[in-house]
Amino acid sequence: MATTLGTVVGLVIGSIPGLTFSMALALMLPFTFGMQPVPAIAMLLGVFVGGMTGGSVSAILLGIPGTPSAAATVFDGYPMALQGKAGQALGAAVMASAFGGLFSLLVMILLLEHVAAVAIKFGPAEIFALVLFGLSTICGLAQESMVRGLVAGVIGLMLMIVGLDELDGVARLTFGTVQLQQGVNLLVAMIGLFAVPQVISAFIDHGRAAPAKMPENVRAQFPSMKDLRDRLWLMVRCAGIGTGIGAIPGTGGPIAAFLAYDHARRFSGSPQNFGKGELSGVVAPETANNAVTGGTMIPLLSLGIPGDPATAVILGGLLIHGLHPGPMLFRTHLGTIYALYIAIVLAYVVILIVQLWGIRLFVRVLQVPPHLLAVCIIVLCVLGSYAIRNSVFDVYLMGIMGLIGYLFQRIRIPIAPVVLGLVLGETLEQQYRTALILSEGSHSIFFESGVALVFFALTALTVGLQVWSASRRRAAVQA
Amino acid sequence: MNRAFAFAFGRCRALVALAAFATLGLAPVSAPRAADFPNQPVEMTVLFGGSSATIAQLLADAMAKELGVAVAAVSRTGASGAVGYSYVKSTPPNGYNIVWNSNSISTAHHNGNMDFNYAAFDGVARVGMEVPAMAVRTDSGWKTLKEFAAAAKKQKLKVGISGRGSFTHLSSAALFNKMGVDVVYVPYGKGKAPVELLAGRIDAALQWPSQFQSHVQAGKLRVIAVTSAERIPVMPDVPTAKEQGYDVDMVLWRGVAAPKGTPKQAIAKLEQAIKNVVDSQEFRGHCKRLGFEPAFLPAAEFDRFIAKDDVAIAKLMASLGLKKSK
Repeated sequence: MATTLGTVVGLVIGSIPGLTFSMALALMLPFTFGMQPVPAIAMLLGVFVGGMTGGSVSAILLGIPGTPSAAATVFDGYPMALQGKAGQALGAAVMASAFGGLFSLLVMILLLEHVAAVAIKFGPAEIFALVLFGLSTICGLAQESMVRGLVAGVIGLMLMIVGLDELDGVARLTFGTVQLQQGVNLLVAMIGLFAVPQVISAFIDHGRAAPAKMPENVRAQFPSMKDLRDRLWLMVRCAGIGTGIGAIPGTGGPIAAFLAYDHARRFSGSPQNFGKGELSGVVAPETANNAVTGGTMIPLLSLGIPGDPATAVILGGLLIHGLHPGPMLFRTHLGTIYALYIAIVLAYVVILIVQLWGIRLFVRVLQVPPHLLAVCIIVLCVLGSYAIRNSVFDVYLMGIMGLIGYLFQRIRIPIAPVVLGLVLGETLEQQYRTALILSEGSHSIFFESGVALVFFALTALTVGLQVWSASRRRAAVQA
Repeated sequence: MNRAFAFAFGRCRALVALAAFATLGLAPVSAPRAADFPNQPVEMTVLFGGSSATIAQLLADAMAKELGVAVAAVSRTGASGAVGYSYVKSTPPNGYNIVWNSNSISTAHHNGNMDFNYAAFDGVARVGMEVPAMAVRTDSGWKTLKEFAAAAKKQKLKVGISGRGSFTHLSSAALFNKMGVDVVYVPYGKGKAPVELLAGRIDAALQWPSQFQSHVQAGKLRVIAVTSAERIPVMPDVPTAKEQGYDVDMVLWRGVAAPKGTPKQAIAKLEQAIKNVVDSQEFRGHCKRLGFEPAFLPAAEFDRFIAKDDVAIAKLMASLGLKKSK
């Protein structure tokens, strides 16, 4: 019962841009104080997985990620919706989410100790190498021009520098204002970059062009079993990526989703279809971001380390009910842990029922004329960007990011690499600096670790392949 | 209209606060009379996430029952607390806007990130304290600070903290100054220091007791000291640094403050409500599980306490080169 309630709350809040599951968790936490431990934690877990899944709804329908983890879903989900295939995209997203979530749960149950032992080996140097590898996926997101892609990526990285640096407490690029010290919030920037340009375009086109043709009788057409069966192996790999990345504290959903998206594109027979409404482009990030939920539970339960803000709230919920996560939890409260596993399974059953039923309803959003939809989107954007940190400043920031996004659209600078820079920037910088503090300034720390070397090699391979294929294409054009 | 909106979203505190805020903004401004305080929702700004925010929510819920109006714990994080402090400072001093404050009022100011200090607020009450604890790996063999100091003199050791200028950094600096050893501080955000210690990338970590508890029970980590003047209830077997011959007394306090000029009656009502909450068995039980030590202090004493603490923190930060002169 508590799980159901939690899951539904999570789904609803997750699907509203700006209201994230981290926030939903913080809001639900007080309600769990008076409950028994198992229903209480079950409800929080429901919110967590529900919110992670719900994020895909607005990503696909409106092109605005409901949560940062759903950003990669926008790239192919939204084009699909514009082509009238919203039902397929949503259906695939839900099933992929459930698959990813249950896969990671299975890993958690069977291999918890082992995964935790590997995850602990990821120190700052290794995480830096992993994130650098993530950054190399800019190659795939840059669309038409690599230079524009790199410019966009650097802008994304630079935006994350603004604010109070977490390691040294130094204010950077704040021009002496307190407001800028809080930095550019990832989700605020995403809402601005994804949503506002759409709204501006909708208003500019309104009345000028002939009213856009409504996709007539939008039917909730579900993906066929064959579509999913063909992608089963892809889903397994992406679930693996998600679980693995989730298990490493300090990484999280958005990074996993981007890596999975790139992975799907790279190993696809038709990479040119990505970004234009390819079903695999929805399945991959959605599998991975839900697999992260199980992944993050591994360090949380076995080591007591919250990997991200969402699990930090769950940690609070565990503590208040006297459950101290860590190795002892499995000896003293094994029954409770099994009850939580069951709760997660239950949450996915609820998600499948609610979402598959709800899709029929959701797709009707597309029948709303664009200019009216634009007004609703603006309201959601303002509400969402305010609610993230209860800050009016963030509303202005969202607006500014939106104008920048629109400008970029006009001068053909792709948005995706900016978002990638935003997602990876903070981790990249902090892990690099922490690693150097650990090694007292010597870069050898990055080359003494086998794990880091593997990721550096992968990065070099990605960039090398890109350069090679680009030069071959150029040669082909000249010939 | 706005009230109906608030009702519909009754579950969602942030939205209630938002709606209440909108209502306030739209309603004709009538100076609230202090005598019938409180007759509107009270908004408590929370500056950080994690367990401190959980305590704030517990406190807000219990205060609402005492005061008979809603008390919303609203999160305004960022910039080491400067964002939230600046917001509350800018609100009208009528008792309806309060802040869940801590030593961060001093550290954010002396860091040079905030151009005002504790004097911009009137203390309402201190609620409790958190005490940093220092842990090492069991296999390191160090059982006391003396043994750690001996090892640290032979070789530069690495100590995990939460961020430069954070309270765990200040506490460890105070401790290691007294011990006369020089260490490398490795700042980790987001509570990662214990896992880094387990993995062997650092030699010790100064964090909050609840982060170590499970690893201590499992025999992986050993807490060798706490930085308070007296032992703490959650770890009664762990000696203080003072007992081991190093005279430090570093505790993180948390309490409630209101913008300067808030009417005395309003502060008194809030203070009484907080006192009743902190005295209640239920709140104490929650605190114990979260590793938070209730320690009520009334408004007047709280103000003196903050002023004294601010001087100590300023001095410590200056000695570490962290104080920006203003």
